Amino acid sequence: MFKKLLRKDFVLCVALGANVNNADEWLKYSENQMRGDRSHSEITMTIQTPNWTRTLEIESDVEGKNLAISTIKSPAKEKGIRTLRIENNMWNYFPKLKRKVAVSSSMLLASWMGSDFTNDDILKASSMADDYSHTFIPNETVDGEEYRVINNVAKSNTKVMWPRIVTYASPKDCLPRIYRYYDKEGKHRRTLTLTDVKKFDGHLFPTHWEMKPEDDASKKTVLDYKNVKFNVSFPKDHFSQKNLSGR
Amino acid sequence: MKLLLLLFLFPLTSVAKVVPELSGNLEGQFRQSNNNTEAKEDLFQNWNNENFYLLYGNLNGKIEKDNSRIEANWFVRYSYSDLYEPNPPYFATNIFTFPNQLVARDLFKLQHKEQNGKEQVESILNKFYYEIDLGQKRLMLGRMYINYGLGEIFNPINPFNQPTGLTSISQVAQGNDGISYTHFLSDTHNIQFILLGDKGINNYEGEIDSTFWLHGEVQYSGDLQLDYVLGEDQDRYKLGSQISYQTSLGMIFSQILYRSETIDNKPTHNLWDVLLGYDQQLTNLWHLRFEGGYQKEDRSLNLTNLGERFLPTEYFLALANIYEIHPLVKVSATLINDVKSGFSYFIGKATYDMGNNMEADTFVFTPFSKGDDTDNVAQKLVTTDVGVALRLFF
Repeated sequence: MFKKLLRKDFVLCVALGANVNNADEWLKYSENQMRGDRSHSEITMTIQTPNWTRTLEIESDVEGKNLAISTIKSPAKEKGIRTLRIENNMWNYFPKLKRKVAVSSSMLLASWMGSDFTNDDILKASSMADDYSHTFIPNETVDGEEYRVINNVAKSNTKVMWPRIVTYASPKDCLPRIYRYYDKEGKHRRTLTLTDVKKFDGHLFPTHWEMKPEDDASKKTVLDYKNVKFNVSFPKDHFSQKNLSGR
Repeated sequence: MKLLLLLFLFPLTSVAKVVPELSGNLEGQFRQSNNNTEAKEDLFQNWNNENFYLLYGNLNGKIEKDNSRIEANWFVRYSYSDLYEPNPPYFATNIFTFPNQLVARDLFKLQHKEQNGKEQVESILNKFYYEIDLGQKRLMLGRMYINYGLGEIFNPINPFNQPTGLTSISQVAQGNDGISYTHFLSDTHNIQFILLGDKGINNYEGEIDSTFWLHGEVQYSGDLQLDYVLGEDQDRYKLGSQISYQTSLGMIFSQILYRSETIDNKPTHNLWDVLLGYDQQLTNLWHLRFEGGYQKEDRSLNLTNLGERFLPTEYFLALANIYEIHPLVKVSATLINDVKSGFSYFIGKATYDMGNNMEADTFVFTPFSKGDDTDNVAQKLVTTDVGVALRLFF
């Protein structure tokens, strides 16, 4: 079955630029597709439980693996709050009080605005391709779809929140569809599902992300990418403290 | 003169391209307060249990074009309680409305404060400035917020905006009248020069008390940041620094501030403030902060000078925990202890996000261990309160 799958999709994945027999290359390819060198995203975040729903509008700019800035556009309470990350340093800026606060790097694991995503997820602080070592494990079928499965184990010299993440990647376009996150005790803690792949500026990108904690099936957070631009050219000091506090 | 021209011409030249923004918040609070026995016996605060009602709000306006912007904040506060009836009102009203001096350094009054029977009304233009970015330089002119420093309970290196970690007030900052010039020397180093004037210190009569201040920020390495302050403020020379260091677990920070004797040779003494802090996100839901330090109290200040600081301890240790028990509910517990006198104070809060840009707070403030520092009037004045607040953002 594996050989059949590999044969069928080999041509497509190679055509997309990935080496399907090498997990490192596969991850590098998919990360490059989804992150690019520079990107600007407009995102709607919806936090859902059976009893209530909360929606935030966010804009996020990312350059490489070390620079990111996000701005909350709504709701009114959080509107204008910005977060800047330069390498491992992070600052929040509260424009109504004109207050900039250096954030402890441990805050990367904090829940972002009450959602199931963390600061690390939103600011793309860790890189699956660089911070983890990768190996293929046997294919799995989930909900009738067969996936190539990659076991990602954190490298010993990296500061990441999750010691193990299992990626379920589609052999059709080489992009991840499911991430399963495991804690230090090896317990499966949350699952991220990515669907609705669209093409933006030559990059394939899943636009609907659902994060579900494993300990509470009634709860989830949804990210809908409304618009993604790749290869954006940002002003010289876009990812700077001057820009952070200048709006 | 060029700056003044820019300020006045801004609305005329930019009408077609400006990006206007209007935002704000409105909050109502009710608290039931019980007086401290020592305040009754020693400080003539002769009341037992009283209710205190507070309604306050901010209206923020901003217009922006290219690299310049004008921002304004109008702050209104109405409070009602039997505690206002005596003349002067009982002192607890100052604690419940801290910071009761909304403008830290005010050259222009731009505020109206009126007390009538059981009511007090305040209306203040708390922020009104023009800001322009010119390359790596930033210039501000007007009434501005000056907000830096990592201390949330005690933040001595910033005398222009007091932390509100021990109060029930949020969404409030203090204005300052003057000019600020910031030079971004590099990605890792910027210097801010501040010139402020203060007539409020002399009740808007007589000479202007000037502040010359320099604040620098240096990102020394990925993990280490240094802030330094230097200047003359409120008749004293001041010199201080803040160092913060990121460890693999959290952030360690410290502040030190030296305040000289008064420059006009009034009979005073120099003062030292020291802060040591630690901040860590223990889990994705649990945040911990520790602050400990020392403040040399300025005994020359009188009780009405609560605009300066509200920290009823001299040597203190404070531990604050914030836990997100639900995506809509955060609880916080802060315990502060004066290690010299034994005085201990507890603050508990729970914040509920009610959706539709509304949130509700419940809070409790209680000194649970009395100190043996008989000279510390602030400790005697701290009351035991329970209350609720409803907050609306727009």
